[in-house]
Amino acid sequence: MTSVADKLRFEPSPLPAHLETLRTEVRAFLKEALADVPVVTRSHSWEAYDAEFSAKLGARGWLGMTLPKEYGGHGRSAFERYVVVEECLVAGAPTGFHWVADRQSGPLLLRYGNEAQKREILPKIAAGRACFAIGMSEPNSGSDLASLRTRAERTATGWRVNGTKIWTSNAHRANYMIALFRTDPDPNKKHAGLSQFLIDLSKTRGITPRPIKNLQGGRNFNEVAFVDAELPPDALIGTEGQGWRQVTEELAFERSGPERYLSCFFLLRKLIDQVRDRASPATLARIGTQVAWAATLRTMSLSIAAKLNAGQDPALEASVVKDLGCQWEQALPGLAQELCELEPTLEGFGTEYQQVLGSLVQVAPSFSLRGGTPEIMRGIIAKGLGVR
Amino acid sequence: MNETQQMLEDSVNRLFGDRLGWDQLTAIEEHGFPTALWQEAVEQGITKVLASEAAGGMGVGWYDAYPVLRAAGRHAVPLPVAEAAIAEWLAGQAGVELPEGVPGLLPATLGPAQLTAAGLRLDSVRTPWGRNADYLVGVAETGTGAELVVASPKGLAIASEDNIGRDPRDSLTGTAALIARQALPQPADSVRWLGALARSAQIAGAGAAALDLALKYSSERSQFGKPLSGFQAIQHYLADLAGLVASVDAITMAACAGLDQRGMAPSGRNARFEIAAAKCRASEAVEKLTRLSHQCHGAIGFTYEYGLHFLTRRLWAWRAEFGGAGEWGEYLGRIAAEVGGDGIWPAITA
Repeated sequence: MTSVADKLRFEPSPLPAHLETLRTEVRAFLKEALADVPVVTRSHSWEAYDAEFSAKLGARGWLGMTLPKEYGGHGRSAFERYVVVEECLVAGAPTGFHWVADRQSGPLLLRYGNEAQKREILPKIAAGRACFAIGMSEPNSGSDLASLRTRAERTATGWRVNGTKIWTSNAHRANYMIALFRTDPDPNKKHAGLSQFLIDLSKTRGITPRPIKNLQGGRNFNEVAFVDAELPPDALIGTEGQGWRQVTEELAFERSGPERYLSCFFLLRKLIDQVRDRASPATLARIGTQVAWAATLRTMSLSIAAKLNAGQDPALEASVVKDLGCQWEQALPGLAQELCELEPTLEGFGTEYQQVLGSLVQVAPSFSLRGGTPEIMRGIIAKGLGVR
Repeated sequence: MNETQQMLEDSVNRLFGDRLGWDQLTAIEEHGFPTALWQEAVEQGITKVLASEAAGGMGVGWYDAYPVLRAAGRHAVPLPVAEAAIAEWLAGQAGVELPEGVPGLLPATLGPAQLTAAGLRLDSVRTPWGRNADYLVGVAETGTGAELVVASPKGLAIASEDNIGRDPRDSLTGTAALIARQALPQPADSVRWLGALARSAQIAGAGAAALDLALKYSSERSQFGKPLSGFQAIQHYLADLAGLVASVDAITMAACAGLDQRGMAPSGRNARFEIAAAKCRASEAVEKLTRLSHQCHGAIGFTYEYGLHFLTRRLWAWRAEFGGAGEWGEYLGRIAAEVGGDGIWPAITA
C-alpha cells in the first residue's frame, strides 16, 4: 500500500562536513571580490556579465569543478560545485559571463562532445574564459519547444543553418552557442528530427544577433537570425536526431540548481536589515515564514544534488523544486514592498533598499519564464503522478 | 528510506490501513476510544517506537521513527501514537520507565509552583486523550533544570472536548498524584518542540493521503466526457498538491535528522531552527493542501460519507496545535532580526 507521495521523496542529504572549509574560502573570496560591486548589480547576479570576475573565479579553481582534470577541470564532486554556486548567488556575485557554460554547456559537451571539442573548449570553461548562449526558443516555439523550425541542412562541407532563435541571453557577446536545430523536416518526426550543434560565434558568418530591450531597459537577450550560416561537419553534438533527448538532459541541469530558489535571496537579506530594528511580531512572522521556505527549498535542492551525484535522474524532483521555488521567490518582491511600504526606485535614486526592490520587482516576471514555465513544470509533475 | 524506516512504515501501514477505513473511523467518532486497536498498536511495538531498548523499545532516533509519525497522519489515526512516541522518548532520556496504558501528554511546560508535596497541580490543562489517559507525562522547569514528571490522572476533573479532527483534547483540573519525577537532560520546553515536530510529520502524512484521494477521485469521476484528471486545471492542482506535500515531508525529515544529530539544547547549533522551519512550513501548507484537495473532489468531498474530511479536519486542527505558522515564523523571524541580512544565510547553512 503505497502513496503517490512516495514518488517524490526528498531524503535529507546534508553536505559532507569537509566542504565547510571550501565554503569559508569562497565566502572570504567573495567578500573581497564584491566589495565594490553596486548593490543593484548584485541583486540579480546571475544576469550580471563580468568576464573579469569569471576569470578570477576560474583561477581559483571554482568553475568547471566537476569536469575531469584531463580537460582542464578539477575532478571535484557535484556537492563542491553546489557550495560555490549557492555562495555566489547569495552574495550577489556577477556570474552572468560563465553561468550557462559552467552549469550546462560544460557537462553537455563532456557527455556528447567529440574529443576535439572537449580538448578545445572544456579548459576554457574551467578557466572562466568561455561565455555560452543557449539557442532553444524561437519566435513561434516557446513552451512547445519541439515545434521549432530553424533548419540545419547537410551540405558538401558541413551544415547550412537558416532560421531565427529568440530570448537568447548574451548572444551578442558570447563566444559559443549550443543550439537545437531541425535536421529532418519530416512532419512525423517532431522530436526525432532535432539535433544539437556547437557554434563558434567568433568564426561563423551569417549569424546576426539583435538585442531585445527587456522591460527594465536592459539588453541581455536577443533575437538571433541565421542566414545561410555555414557550420563545419563536426559542429553536430552527439547524434543526429537525438537532440531532443540531449536537450532534455541539459534542461535537467538548468532546472535543478540552487538558482531556482535563490534569485531573490539578496532582497530577503536586505529586507531583514530594513525591518530588523523595528519589526512587529507579525512582521517577524512573515520574515520567518520566508526563512522556513528557504530552509525547505535548500533541503530539497540538496537532495536533488545528491541524486545527480549518485547518477540518478531527478527530472521530476527538479520540476517540483523549480515550481515551488518560483512560487516562493516571485512573491518576495511584493512582500518586501508591503512590509516596508517603500516605493521601488530606479538605480541611482532612493535608498539602496529601494533600488534593489526596484530591480527585483521588475525582474521577477522572468522567474516563471526561464528554463520552463510553471505550466510546463506542472505538466511534468502531473505526468509523474500518472494523470497525463 | 533505510531498512528500519521501511520495516516500520510497512508495519504501521498494514495495521492502520486494515483497521482504519472510513467506516471504522466513523464508528470511532461515534463510540469513542478504540481500545482494541490501541492494544494492537501496543503489541506491535508502534507506541514504543521511540522508547529506549531498556524499556522494550527499538532504540532508534527520530529520523528512523519518522514513518510512524507520518503514518499517524496518513491514516488519520485516532490514537495518541505521536504523543506516546514523545512520552517514551522523554522517558528514555530521563531513564524512567513509563506505566502501562494510554499516555496523557501534558503539552505545556510545567512550572515549579505546579509541583507540590501533594502532587502535580493542574488548572484546566488541555491534554490530548486526557479522558482516556492511564497516566500523565509532562516536563517541568524546576528552576535548576528540567524534570520528567509522571502522574496519575485519578480523581482529576475532566472537561471533555474534541478538536475539530474529533480527537479528544480534554482539560484536566486538580492535583495529580506523582508516580515518578526524574531529572531530564533535555530542555524544559521539550514537549512543545517535539509536539511541533510530530504534528509536522502528521501533516505530511495526512497531506499525502489527501493527495492520494484527490488523484483517485479525479481519475474516476468524468465530466464533459473525460476524467477530471484529464483537465489541465485539475492536473495543475494535483501537481501543486504533490509539491506542497513533498515540501512538508522534506523539511520534517531534515528536522528529524537534525534532532538526532544536534539535539535541541537552546545553546549552540541545535535542531530548533529546522523544527521551527518544519512546523512553520507544515502549518502554512495546510491552507492550500485542504483547499485544493477539496476542490478536486467537488461537493462529494464536503459530505460526511466521503472520508476526505477525516484528513482535512485533522489538518486544520494540527495546523494550530503546538503552534502555527505565526508562532514558529516569529521564532525564525527573531533569529533573522538578531543575525541580520548578512547572517541569515550562514544560519541556514550552519
